[in-house]
Amino acid sequence: MATEQSDSGQDGRSIRRRWEPRIERLRRGWDRYTEHKIGVVGLIILIIYALWSIAPGVFAPHSPDWVAYLGEPPIKSRLTGEQIRSLPHPPAFGDPFFAPFGTNSLGNGVLTLVIYSAQNAMYIGLAAGMLSSLVGVPLGLISGFYGDTWIDEAIQRFVDIMYGLPFLPFLIVLVAIRGITTTNIIIGIAVTSWLNNCITVRGETLSLKERSYVESAKVAGASDTRIIFRHIMPNVLPISFVFLAQDAAGAVIAQASLAYLGLADFTANSWGLMLENIKSTGYVFKAWWWLIPPGIALMLMAASFYFIGFSMEDVTNPQR
Amino acid sequence: MTRISGKYLAKRIVVSYLTLLVIMSLLFVLLRSMPGSFITSMISSGMTAEQIERIRETWGLNEPLWKQYVQFMINYQTGNFGRSPTYNAQVWDLIVRRMPRTLVLFGSTFIIGFIIGPLVGMYLGWWRGSTKDKSIFSTSLLLYSMPSFWISWLFIWVINYELDWLPSAYMFTQFPEFEWTAFTVMRDVLYHIALPVMSLTFIGWVGSMLIMRPTMNQVTDEGYVFLARAKGLSERTVMVKHAARNALIPVATGAVVSLAFLIDGSVIIENVFNWPGMGQIIVSAVLNRDFPVAQAVFFMLALLIVVMRLLTDVVYTYLDPRIKFGEGE
Repeated sequence: MATEQSDSGQDGRSIRRRWEPRIERLRRGWDRYTEHKIGVVGLIILIIYALWSIAPGVFAPHSPDWVAYLGEPPIKSRLTGEQIRSLPHPPAFGDPFFAPFGTNSLGNGVLTLVIYSAQNAMYIGLAAGMLSSLVGVPLGLISGFYGDTWIDEAIQRFVDIMYGLPFLPFLIVLVAIRGITTTNIIIGIAVTSWLNNCITVRGETLSLKERSYVESAKVAGASDTRIIFRHIMPNVLPISFVFLAQDAAGAVIAQASLAYLGLADFTANSWGLMLENIKSTGYVFKAWWWLIPPGIALMLMAASFYFIGFSMEDVTNPQR
Repeated sequence: MTRISGKYLAKRIVVSYLTLLVIMSLLFVLLRSMPGSFITSMISSGMTAEQIERIRETWGLNEPLWKQYVQFMINYQTGNFGRSPTYNAQVWDLIVRRMPRTLVLFGSTFIIGFIIGPLVGMYLGWWRGSTKDKSIFSTSLLLYSMPSFWISWLFIWVINYELDWLPSAYMFTQFPEFEWTAFTVMRDVLYHIALPVMSLTFIGWVGSMLIMRPTMNQVTDEGYVFLARAKGLSERTVMVKHAARNALIPVATGAVVSLAFLIDGSVIIENVFNWPGMGQIIVSAVLNRDFPVAQAVFFMLALLIVVMRLLTDVVYTYLDPRIKFGEGE
């Protein structure tokens, strides 16, 4: 009994001893991160969007199928001609219904749609960012580690080829081939946006592999795979997180650009689709309450990714 | 002169050429795998199978795919870009007519963006961490996050729709009442280009700023900056003449990379502003399955990017004596 207790006490101490430096390092990183106000602001915005995408019903005043004058579905009556003519309805006091940001031309609440669209943007941003990191980082690592061999040469020529294809038109072709769904838009964005990750990671790897600890790992008999993934990758990960954030921001904007060109997934609510609807119904310069909120929401999401990315860059910059 | 060997240069040119060939093959495969064919728009419901067959025959669609591919590659080597079914014109004429218009829009944005961006980046990098730096930097990141068509809409809404200061579409006045002289045409184009260029540079300058800022910050710790300060030169002289010059080299690389980014921007902007350039036809060509035009425009853009990348590598060796090419890079 007594020995067991002392054993577990030792265990606890040794676990704490093992984990303390890591927690300490994490705390120091967090302190450095919070030095940058924009990083904190970006994180707060992103948390709000995350909450929106997890539980949009809590934050939105209505469901996305809500229609002004008629209320929530199931809708039995129809809009009168006069009511239809008053749509899109600007935000105003004394309305017979409650729509804080006004309504669109179908009578759906703009604020509701903006909140319900956060999910799609979050999904596209994170998925496309992660996918392009998953392609770009390993390729960059391999290319850098085998620098000046045929493997490096082949990967670099492939990057050159991909660079020669202009991003947006190429994306249109890819999306058109596979059909316009959110998944295909994500795949298309990932296929076209991993190049910068690859090149930067390659450059980092080229300088890292000359360090003495890589040499000693090699002398100790570690395999190439082990050196790449155990010794070099941890040092490259911070910079690749920066690129992940930037790719995520780029993906959110790219989705909106695709939607502008008519290549939006019409089955899912998204800010790009809202903007596309304004264009196709011809209210771009007439319904500011419908034009501005989705754009601001999109801008803030992309900006929060950029903010986080650039503060991470400062945190992980070893020179400071 | 001696820093670049002829052998290296020749190798780079051959590799660039091969890259172009691969890009062309990729384009051929990708465009052919899109659903639909470009003769769909020519077929009406009243046509007999024989007529449709004749259309297929005239456009060479009955040949096996590999023959079409070989023909395509041979034609492009000899500068024969074919004929567009939707525009009913030679593709080459179409490109020659539209390329300068895109270059005017593109070039002015590029130049303005690469004057403002590095200048702002220079100041922010020099005074990194100050309140001024933080506020300007976060604002510029906000600008960078805007979708380009949305900001153009806002500009059009305020400047054109509400204030009616500048035109929002086309390159020329549609039915001009003024005399058609060189001066008036130039004024007219400037008048029409103002809004698109404004929208595009509003976002575009941030890209070069983002590259300039960290390199400028690195340069501040260099010995020669310290020396220049110690010599008693003014802060301004040290910043502009000594630090900024060296920080400009990565910006030049970034300029080439951002070429592709600017192409995206101009594709969208040309569509928003009805600018009759290449960006406008590439989208409609892809959507209408007008393969001859789509292939040619993609090819021209790829050519532009590949040649620019080759040129920067070569020009670099003159800018920066530390870079040596051809010795295992």
